[in-house]
Amino acid sequence: MGALDRLQQISGQITGAKSAKDRLLIKSPDDIVVTACLRTAFTKGGKGGFKDTHAADLMAGALQGIISRSGIDPALVEDVCVGTVLAPGGGATEMRAAALVAGFPESTAVRTLNRQCSSGLQACVDVANQIRAGMIEVGIGAGVESMSLNYGPAAVSEFSELLESVPEAANCKVPMGVLSEDMAKDRNIPRAAQDSFAASSYQKAAKAQEAGLFNEEIHPLTVKFEDPKSGETKSITVSKDDGVRPGTTAESLGKMKGAFAQGGSIHAGNASQISDGAAAVLMMKRSTAERLGQTILGKYVAASIVGVKPLLMGVGPWKAIPKVFELTGITKDDVDIFEINEAFASQCLWCANELGLPMEKINPKGGAIAFGHPLGCTGARQVSTLLYELKRRGEKVGVTSMCIGTGMGMAAVWVAE
Amino acid sequence: MASMLPFQTKGFNPYAVKYSPYFDSRIAVASAANYGIVGNGRLWCLGLGPNGIQVEKTFDTNDAQYDLAWSEINENQLLAACGDGSIKLYDVNVNEFPVMNYHEHKRETFSVAWSPVTKDTFASSSWDGTVKIWSPARKESLKTLPVGNCTYSTQYCPSNPHIISAVSTDSQLRIFDLRTPVNAQYHLTSKIPVHLPPPVPFPQGMAPPPAMPSEILTHDWNKYRDTVIATGGVDRVIRTFDIRNPTGGPASIMMGHEYAIRKLAWSPHASDILISASYDMTVRLWTDGSTMAQDGPSPFKPGVQLGIMNRHTEFVTGVDWCLFGEGGWVATVGWDEMVYLWNATSLFSG
Repeated sequence: MGALDRLQQISGQITGAKSAKDRLLIKSPDDIVVTACLRTAFTKGGKGGFKDTHAADLMAGALQGIISRSGIDPALVEDVCVGTVLAPGGGATEMRAAALVAGFPESTAVRTLNRQCSSGLQACVDVANQIRAGMIEVGIGAGVESMSLNYGPAAVSEFSELLESVPEAANCKVPMGVLSEDMAKDRNIPRAAQDSFAASSYQKAAKAQEAGLFNEEIHPLTVKFEDPKSGETKSITVSKDDGVRPGTTAESLGKMKGAFAQGGSIHAGNASQISDGAAAVLMMKRSTAERLGQTILGKYVAASIVGVKPLLMGVGPWKAIPKVFELTGITKDDVDIFEINEAFASQCLWCANELGLPMEKINPKGGAIAFGHPLGCTGARQVSTLLYELKRRGEKVGVTSMCIGTGMGMAAVWVAE
Repeated sequence: MASMLPFQTKGFNPYAVKYSPYFDSRIAVASAANYGIVGNGRLWCLGLGPNGIQVEKTFDTNDAQYDLAWSEINENQLLAACGDGSIKLYDVNVNEFPVMNYHEHKRETFSVAWSPVTKDTFASSSWDGTVKIWSPARKESLKTLPVGNCTYSTQYCPSNPHIISAVSTDSQLRIFDLRTPVNAQYHLTSKIPVHLPPPVPFPQGMAPPPAMPSEILTHDWNKYRDTVIATGGVDRVIRTFDIRNPTGGPASIMMGHEYAIRKLAWSPHASDILISASYDMTVRLWTDGSTMAQDGPSPFKPGVQLGIMNRHTEFVTGVDWCLFGEGGWVATVGWDEMVYLWNATSLFSG
């Protein structure tokens, strides 16, 4: 009941309705803030540096990174939520073990969740909501995927007769490449536009990598790696995304063959890469962060989840982003950076065009086309990519968003500090 | 504005004024030293006699007072809402100390309202983001309704003792029905986004107010149409809503205030008349247009400002109607340490 609070409250009433953005920037003790966030490097599925590393090992490495970077007493972390899509059994057992390996005591609870490509974001949002509701004080939202070890036909089971009998339900298992090919045709997204969007993702990522813009977010991991030629196993340190191909142009991508249809527009060069990686975000209330002397990198504001037609799953961000705007009162002009997952150049481009988002605000350091999309990890990865870039530019408001297989979309608003 | 009875609350800046529901000559003012930022509060019980307004009693509190409510069951008792989160029940016949102290709110208690129907409970709202329902005989609250953000005002429905409303920082008008089971919603039955524009087209020639969320500081139930609520706040716009149609947008919009609207009250004597007090130092009298003929196809009606009182020289924070007499008498208070009693019908003639 400080005099200053009262003064601020009254002056707020007099200066009149603050713009939604100004209200977003107000620092309140109840804000859910990020005090550490990082990711591992992303490496190519089946051949990159992490091809022999289990998802749980990646997660353990990222969690260790969070502890060492933030300097937080691990015993204060009450819950860890890991988004992971392909892990058998949801990865529940492995992730609990990974947290113990990372140095968390048995009092730190762990769970996993799966909301397909938004699992990492959903994990962060769930933890933020747990903190907001008072269930926990300090938590970690995370995401991980080893597509090298867990990707394959076993990821979806056979549909029952019942599911097959309802057309819209049966649509849920149409492979994403196939439906995106149809969507690109249906929504009239030409191959050339997709290729030039993809090429710019490569170019932005290559430039960012060269300028060292990923150094802050990437936590290097030392792992075992079996050399495919010699067959010998050695220890390597992975600190760089290996999917980024410098020199990629729209012309060079134009030569590639469609992957999902004869003469199709979608190919390996304008779709997200199959990758391995992990990411984690440490969150707590601002009052807790100040009490613990944690450095505040930014805050979580709000998130939205929406459903769209399963066959048009790529339009998810187009519906989710306006909904999160509605929740926060801001508009697209208030946002400095959009991190929209590039599942496919076609869908990301379509969403951006439909929403009228300026291209220079979207994925300024490139996206999943250039450095990969380890499914469950991406949502948590975007937080690091976003907050460090906002901070570097001295900008404030960011949105992370992605489409979700089976027809959903998610978006979240973050503020860098 | 010929006859205006003044009274000065020396050293204290008033935050609220209420007429007694029992006596036409009794008024109370809740006030705070140093504009309520830091310092004591003082509750003034004032009597209107042949020699003007006289002090009958004062009660001092350690922290500022932001609102008050007269008891509906005991003509001598009244509540003060305090900055330290407490609510104090005073008896005019008991000196100095409160007869009851209710302290559960964790931050500034900003409004109190006594149930006008059953008269056996009162409600309070606080910056701690809750509304609490109390029995005057118990120190512990009966119910806590979570709002989740700074709740500036709570009111009882004038006809149904189970229905309670609240407005808050998040630009929402919430309606609670205590007859509903305590499910995940804690009796919340509707949540009306006050700032959203009406879904119907605006009447020609009227510029719509900004559709930006803003703090709602005050609201009141119409005394004749028991589903109609008026709201006012930081965006300087008064809106009326019919709670039977929570998604229908405002039924009427009244624009004119130049700063935030701090308090509004429907007339006890006419179904379409309301009065508002604002940080722009004026008090304005309005009709919400509900009794006027419909102009054009739009069901939405702009209200009309009927008059303006600008005697106050600082923020006007409180306004209340006298229930008695010919109708039209109001009390207003402001940070200029002034209480004015005057007849609002005098505004018609200028």
